[in-house]
Amino acid sequence: MIRLVDVNKYFGDLHVLKNINLEVKEGEKLVVIGPSGSGKSTMIRCMNFLEEPTSGHVYIDGVELTHKNKTEMNRKNIAMVFQQFNLYPHMTVLENVTLAPIRLQGLKKEEAQQQAFRYLDIVGLREKAHVYPATLSGGQQQRVAIARALATHQKIILFDEPTSALDPETVQEVLDVMIRLSRENITMVVVTHEMGFARQVADRVIFMDQGTILEEGAPEHFFENPTHERTKAFLSKILR
Amino acid sequence: MMTDILSVLTAENLLFLLDGLKMTIFYAGSTILLSICLGLILALLRSYSLGFWGKLAAMYIEVLRNTPLILWILGIRFLTPIPPLWSGVVSLTLFETAIIAEIIRGGLGGIPKGQFEAGHSQGFTFLQVLRFIVVPQCFRSIVPALLSQVITIVKDSSFLWAVAIEEFTGKGMILMGRFTSTAQVFTLFALMAAVYFTINFLLSAAVRRQSAKTGRKPTLEDLSAVTA
Repeated sequence: MIRLVDVNKYFGDLHVLKNINLEVKEGEKLVVIGPSGSGKSTMIRCMNFLEEPTSGHVYIDGVELTHKNKTEMNRKNIAMVFQQFNLYPHMTVLENVTLAPIRLQGLKKEEAQQQAFRYLDIVGLREKAHVYPATLSGGQQQRVAIARALATHQKIILFDEPTSALDPETVQEVLDVMIRLSRENITMVVVTHEMGFARQVADRVIFMDQGTILEEGAPEHFFENPTHERTKAFLSKILR
Repeated sequence: MMTDILSVLTAENLLFLLDGLKMTIFYAGSTILLSICLGLILALLRSYSLGFWGKLAAMYIEVLRNTPLILWILGIRFLTPIPPLWSGVVSLTLFETAIIAEIIRGGLGGIPKGQFEAGHSQGFTFLQVLRFIVVPQCFRSIVPALLSQVITIVKDSSFLWAVAIEEFTGKGMILMGRFTSTAQVFTLFALMAAVYFTINFLLSAAVRRQSAKTGRKPTLEDLSAVTA
């Protein structure tokens, strides 16, 4: 579904992604962990070309992602949920969720709204449909962002640290929504520090450090028996 | 004294001034609409185009913003073949566009990068991101600054008096020539000040009221609902 081939990314002289090769299968739930600065956000952002790799190739469903086709590819295949939610503050919750379906997929307003209410039900925020994002808590905003990502029926949803900007109290409500989503046949790539979530949901976990994928495996292997010293050190710090 | 005042406030004089007021509203209104549209284009170019057009927009804005309005009014009136009626609109628009472009650019600069990323990740093109996401937010945030420039435009239109365009101040100055006593001159000045004050005060009160009614920060729609 997603294939990264020899992907390198430089920011100036900084080599943030070093020859990344990775394949994510259809419907797979991939969790990416690693210390900050390890390149995991940059890698996930290469998957929808918010960052364009300096060299290498990214394929979505067999089609190479390019500067030229990225808008169309994102419209058809990939949605993203951001650490800072990035809801549109001048629109109500309902307008946030229906903007792309109406403007990009040609749905009628009524259809789009009906469908939006279904997704707001999934994230448990139907009653907030007509308020502005600023009146919502962080957790609620992130759930709206998930509804917005779902509303375009993409096959792939990328989550870039979706709970890192949240109050500890609201982290779980967002994770619960993501756990529910993981039962669907959506390909999910999740950059996170939530190890409980990784254990419960991931089909595969990869550990990144200094721009490379250091270790990967099923969560059981990964958390019980990490092979790399670096992975062990990271896990021991994060899984107190 | 009282007769002096009354000699200014005759029906004939007031109707004469009213004609000028209509012209002022015409000049200010068309300048406001045109300079918001053109200012938006310049601001977008200066903010997001690194090439020739961006540099050109920057140059235009800097030249116009750093020269006096009266120079442009005189220049357009006497150095171009544009007819007098339109030369007023053209010179005011040329100048105010540069000011408004900078106000809009300030608003654009305040839009977080994440808004663009959210739009791009949904598959919106750059122009669609601007149209649906960035520009509406920008106008929302700049309404106070824009409103104060709108008020300035109403007042700036009085400079057109200098090229014998008979807007409100022009008409007032024609009347002024007929009066000699201090009380008469004072009355006329006070009347003219009161009229400008009333227009502009109503304008800002109306924007405030419109935004209070919708229960959110004022938006461009509020401003246009008021000016329309």
